[in-house]
Amino acid sequence: MPRLLSGALRLRRDPRMLKLPPYLSLLCILVGVVWLFLLPLDEYSRRTYISENALLPGQVHTYFGGSDQNVFRAYKHEVNSLVGKSNVEINDKLESIVKGLGLKAGRQNFTYRSAGRVYSGENLYAILQAPRGDATEAIVLVAAWENAKEELNRNGVALVLTLARYFKRWSLWSKDIIFLVTPDSIAGPQAWVDAYHDAHDSARVDSLPLKSGALQGAIAIDYAKEGRFESVHIVYDGVNGQLPNLDLINSVVSIAGGQMGMGVAIQEMWGHNDQYPDRLRTMLRGMLKQGLGLASGPHSSFIPYHVDAVTLQPFGDGWQDEMAMGRVVEGTFRSLNNLLEHLHQSFFFYLLMQRERFVSIGTYLPSAMLVAANFTIMAIALWVKSGQPEGEAEPVKMEADGIGSGETTRAPAVERDLFLPLGVVTICQFLAVIPFYLFNHAPDSMLTPAFTIFAVINTALPHSLSHLLTTYYTPSAQQYQLIKSFSLLLLGMFLSSLATLNFSLAFLVGLLTSPLTFMRPWPQSPAMRTACTVLLNAVSPTAVLVAAAFAWHLDINTVLREAAFAWDVCGMYTPVVVWCVWWPAWLAGSVTVLGRPEVGKTKQKTT
Amino acid sequence: MKLSSVLRLPALLAATLFTTAALVEAEHTSNWAVLVSTSRFWFNYRHLANVLSIYRTVKRLGIPDSQIILMLPDDMACNPRNAFPGTVYSNADRAVDLYGDNIEVDYRGYEVTVENFIRLLTDRVGEEMPRSKRLLTDDRSNILVYMTGHGGNEFLKFQDAEEIGAFDLADAFEQMWEKKRYHEILFMIDTCQANTMYSKLYSPNIIATGSSELDQSSYSHHADNDVGVAVIDRYTYYNLEFLETEVRDTSSKKTVGDLFDSYSYEKIHSHAGVRYDLFRGGAEAARSRLVTDFFGNVQNVEVDGTKNTTLEEDMLALSKTIAALRQKANEEEAALKKNTTADTESKQVPLQQKKIQFAKPLTDDNWWTKKIFGATALAGCAALWGLGSYFEAPRR
Repeated sequence: MPRLLSGALRLRRDPRMLKLPPYLSLLCILVGVVWLFLLPLDEYSRRTYISENALLPGQVHTYFGGSDQNVFRAYKHEVNSLVGKSNVEINDKLESIVKGLGLKAGRQNFTYRSAGRVYSGENLYAILQAPRGDATEAIVLVAAWENAKEELNRNGVALVLTLARYFKRWSLWSKDIIFLVTPDSIAGPQAWVDAYHDAHDSARVDSLPLKSGALQGAIAIDYAKEGRFESVHIVYDGVNGQLPNLDLINSVVSIAGGQMGMGVAIQEMWGHNDQYPDRLRTMLRGMLKQGLGLASGPHSSFIPYHVDAVTLQPFGDGWQDEMAMGRVVEGTFRSLNNLLEHLHQSFFFYLLMQRERFVSIGTYLPSAMLVAANFTIMAIALWVKSGQPEGEAEPVKMEADGIGSGETTRAPAVERDLFLPLGVVTICQFLAVIPFYLFNHAPDSMLTPAFTIFAVINTALPHSLSHLLTTYYTPSAQQYQLIKSFSLLLLGMFLSSLATLNFSLAFLVGLLTSPLTFMRPWPQSPAMRTACTVLLNAVSPTAVLVAAAFAWHLDINTVLREAAFAWDVCGMYTPVVVWCVWWPAWLAGSVTVLGRPEVGKTKQKTT
Repeated sequence: MKLSSVLRLPALLAATLFTTAALVEAEHTSNWAVLVSTSRFWFNYRHLANVLSIYRTVKRLGIPDSQIILMLPDDMACNPRNAFPGTVYSNADRAVDLYGDNIEVDYRGYEVTVENFIRLLTDRVGEEMPRSKRLLTDDRSNILVYMTGHGGNEFLKFQDAEEIGAFDLADAFEQMWEKKRYHEILFMIDTCQANTMYSKLYSPNIIATGSSELDQSSYSHHADNDVGVAVIDRYTYYNLEFLETEVRDTSSKKTVGDLFDSYSYEKIHSHAGVRYDLFRGGAEAARSRLVTDFFGNVQNVEVDGTKNTTLEEDMLALSKTIAALRQKANEEEAALKKNTTADTESKQVPLQQKKIQFAKPLTDDNWWTKKIFGATALAGCAALWGLGSYFEAPRR
């Protein structure tokens, strides 16, 4: 045992130890990526199951149908007559309808400003008070007048009105039911949920005139499609990649898929054969959506308030009609009605790869953590390395003298010059405020020009910074090591904490910044320097943004406007991560690559 | 020779008993039922329906409300989720409303606790406890104890908050026995791993049965899709089926054995268990008890001068003791004789190991003749003994 210990200690002194970290980092990244690709296999993913005993999905007969079909047609007629009218006129009509049903109705104005645009409208909602309940809890049924793709949600609104009338006839509700009709899919629900929880900015959003109990769940109907449908698409991504409790999705899958016998899809996978490629595609789509953190429907705004919500979209051509959709909602509401407390039993952190297959956080988190850890490993290695004298040949020779000599003849640690590296990293971090402010406050028309100018400056910035550094400060190799060390340390820290909040975003950013681990100054080799610079420019935030916009056939203006809107209205923090975590790390890395350390400077200082 | 002097006692006792003892038979004189559901919440509707259906059955067979202790931790009839307000059904056909208009819940809501349950059984209750909430049984009462809820290995959960262990239950029954609070008990339990709950019982005269073995779940029988929940458990369902079809009224001669034989894995989907070993007379005696001995109200009136069960039992017990004491005295004498020859070490070991042999209990046939034989023999002995002592006295 002591022999082993001394062996380990000697290994610690071994200079070869310092050559290990880059390989270790590389291994971390590789394992992290391979890990992710293993997840869709049967051995690593699990079948979904209902954890909450109270839900009992699909155990009730649903009676929505029959004469309700005629009611639906009548309401559809009313809705059709409102098409093209103003928001207030629509709400006037809808209010008279819900009041006619004997429900209490309320209206709420909101006006958001983002990227020089005004998003305003008026929400209308009605509360069905539980006949025998105690009004301490409520569930919400949402239909936006326009869905996320700005299509008219005619059937959705008509269905909500029909269901309001139908639900009013039942006496078995233990919770109040709130019917909410919003003019759009993002801002309206956001304003309403904010105001419901008194978390709204009263300058932009009016308070609600009427409230009920604590929200336990919400279902949004996005039914713009005309005619019969085949399956239901469950949209579940919330703002900032937050997800509703898995039990809610499982309940809908069990009711729609099991009880009603219709297909269920997630992540726009219209056909899913439950094989590895489809599972992987579903998972990656989910991760991408989660990583972007955008609101994907009226349900998204509810999730940050811990109100589990999903949007249901009918799709495909089949024989299911509006009544079938209504029955799915009825079944889900009966399940939610059974709840005794908030959904809490099942998972909040998961990746779905098929409607009945998932991996939980314990299984997938190591993947992003490993990627984040690679930065920390490298940062520590660089810190150690920066404390050792240059020229590694000496200790190797000494080791040949005999055992134990390594300890006695070890060169003393070199003093680290911290001011410059810390200064550079701090400046990089603070510079991040500029793009962040710029893209969140520039008016719509200025976004594209601003981005173009920024992209150009961004390419030139490392060069100019590097030039400034070398002319005024002539940093040593040690200082470059320290710049990189501090920058990577910050990156590793940010990403590992982010991984617990938004796994996908942390993983994506980690992957795109992984080249930074291996960047170092190339004073002797201009070819390597150029190659590294080109590589870094290819994975710069601006280049990735352009590439992504190109890949999805979006113009950069839309992307930036949506991002600004999401930041202003929904509080999406992806821009913060991009500009204040990713971009500074990238900048520091680029400066390091372009650095020309003065050889021998460290030695002079230490002697 | 202290023991030999003890031997004089039984003869005296026997003589006294014979003069006073009226000859009687063992029977109970009252029937009680303790029906407990231990779980609350809407999705446990079936547990309350289980208990209410047993409640209905025992009432149907004549046990009055005053002798039924009903413990319901939740009110399903008034739950806002109930599509049929004011009712509880244990079958999807909804033919019988178990809540009806004549139901007396003795312990409700948060009163249903382990403490209250044990206090009820052992009658350790305060002055203020109303009689309707007490189990006013005596040593002539047959009790049906029915429990249902969520359980596990040797425990049964009470209301998501606490649990009763198999040992707690066993100790409670033992206290009841010691306090002469029951004559016989039929303990039924319908929960997961139910059979473990009665595994620790050690008090006499208990027949126990449960719905499932260790590591087995008990299942619900069916759900009512309009109520939206499962309405009854399998074990209870098939017990009820037997009781409804075979035990139509109190004159039914179906035995507990018949009831237990009706259980099968195919029906219940778990292995229902039965425990007879605590019962005096074992399986045979236990199985021959009528179902109505526990589920029905049998009113045996005790009239002075007719057969007295307890006295007869006491006599039996006494004859056993006499035989045992005689045996012991003989042994001791033999051992003492031995003692003179054998060394001290070998003496004690066989003494301790030797089991006391009990006399064969008397049986019913030829009871009178045997008694007379015995009495004359004893009287003769007594006379001889008196004569002997009379004759011996003057010699000294």
